[in-house]
Amino acid sequence: MSPNALHIEDLVKRYPTGVEALRGVSLDIEPGKLFGLLGPNGAGKSTLIHCTTGLAQPSSGVIEIFGHDAIGAYEDARQAVGLAPQEPNLDWFLTVEESLDYHAGYFGVPKRERRERTAELLETFSLTEKRHERTRALSGGMKRRLILARAVMHRPRLLILDEPTAGVDVELRLELWHYVQKINQEGTTILLTTHYLEEAEQLCDRIAFIAEGQIVAEGSSEDVAERFGTTSLEDAYLALVGRKELSRSHIELTDEVAS
Amino acid sequence: MSSRQIRFATLWRREVNRFMKIKKQTLGAPLLETFLYISVFGAALGSRVGELHGIDYVVFVIPGLIMMAFSINAFANNASSILQQKFQGAIQDQLSSPASPLELLLAFSLGGFARGLLVAVLTFVAASLLVDLPVDHLLVLIPSLCLVGFFFSQLGVLVGVRAEQFDDVAFAQTFVLQPLIFLGGVFYSATLLPQPFETLTHFNPIFYMINLVRYGFVGFTEVSVALSLLALAGATAALFAVNLRLFSRGYKLRA
Repeated sequence: MSPNALHIEDLVKRYPTGVEALRGVSLDIEPGKLFGLLGPNGAGKSTLIHCTTGLAQPSSGVIEIFGHDAIGAYEDARQAVGLAPQEPNLDWFLTVEESLDYHAGYFGVPKRERRERTAELLETFSLTEKRHERTRALSGGMKRRLILARAVMHRPRLLILDEPTAGVDVELRLELWHYVQKINQEGTTILLTTHYLEEAEQLCDRIAFIAEGQIVAEGSSEDVAERFGTTSLEDAYLALVGRKELSRSHIELTDEVAS
Repeated sequence: MSSRQIRFATLWRREVNRFMKIKKQTLGAPLLETFLYISVFGAALGSRVGELHGIDYVVFVIPGLIMMAFSINAFANNASSILQQKFQGAIQDQLSSPASPLELLLAFSLGGFARGLLVAVLTFVAASLLVDLPVDHLLVLIPSLCLVGFFFSQLGVLVGVRAEQFDDVAFAQTFVLQPLIFLGGVFYSATLLPQPFETLTHFNPIFYMINLVRYGFVGFTEVSVALSLLALAGATAALFAVNLRLFSRGYKLRA
């Protein structure tokens, strides 16, 4: 049996301040799946992603990517992961083209392959005309495109998208999702965090809710809704954050009573 | 090239590319500064001072200036580069790559080393056009300059990793490094100082570095060459070990 794309077991992350951001998280994502990790701000989503990609040091627990240890001898695990972070983290000194080229270089991609892949992704993400521009001169939308292009530059088998469409316009959002669905169909496993619940519902094979550093529900969107005794993912989410009164069905019912 | 070699070459290339993109600031300014020192201390004061320990004053000063250029640039490059990348978040791209702590540390170190070396070589070439600068002990000069460059590269990495704001880097450079260099005997011989300053100078590690480089160029030293080289090698190795530990732990780099 082939190993899971991501296997997390009893992961704990305690910051020096004493804050426990992850409290024994266990999670498995099968290869080829599009997995949604949802939860309110501060629930532990980004910390979990940072621990998986080496940007945070777990306090304890196991993280394996396609069977490779991602904490100790992490070289093979990191090679298999691409990360599009929530906050733009582009190098101001580099041009668009250099950003892609250097990233692939960090992952050991040979020069000719880097050149071909850069041209391909610049075209895919409509960045060809901007290739010689410094990253700090790009608009917010262009930065988003570049961040996603950079994340897939070394052809990762597991792509982690941390709120990739936060603050982008509808056109770009749809464009990004089309690309994400395309590479998912081609075999790339995707771990996605988003605040857009409808998108998660439409795109993801499986969903997990995380709250206060713990996975509180996991399964298909129907499973998760059922777990909270609701009929939609949105209502389940509202139940999770204790704001059931904001449910659309509740508001519609209130309107009917008022009329 | 293996995957690891490509990775390391790219990490290092990024560091060199950074300072080459802002050449006026990273290469031009230090060269102008050194040229001004040579003009003031060599042409203006030198004619009045005459000789020090039988060496033309301007020739006596230039090895110290070359060492100063190497050290300050190696230090400033690494401290700024690491802090800037932490500030932008761009360092995450390298930290989430398969690169090991050793590869990351070496790439940063050699980036600063390359800038320091380039400025030092350009300073040497420019100085050679103005005065007849001998190279008496090449076999001492090369390891001395390499160790000085690597020591200050490591110091730059240490300050860059620990720094949380640009003020921290400026403080280290202006209030610690530059006074130590200026008081280490770049422009004078310690034997000319009254007590207790002559003795105090011997507690300044940079005094030994300047003497090593000066010995390599003009054959004059106020300290034991072998002992100074050994101490410098030890200090550089210790600093490297500290930095490697910080990179392995992800100190102020990873959450």
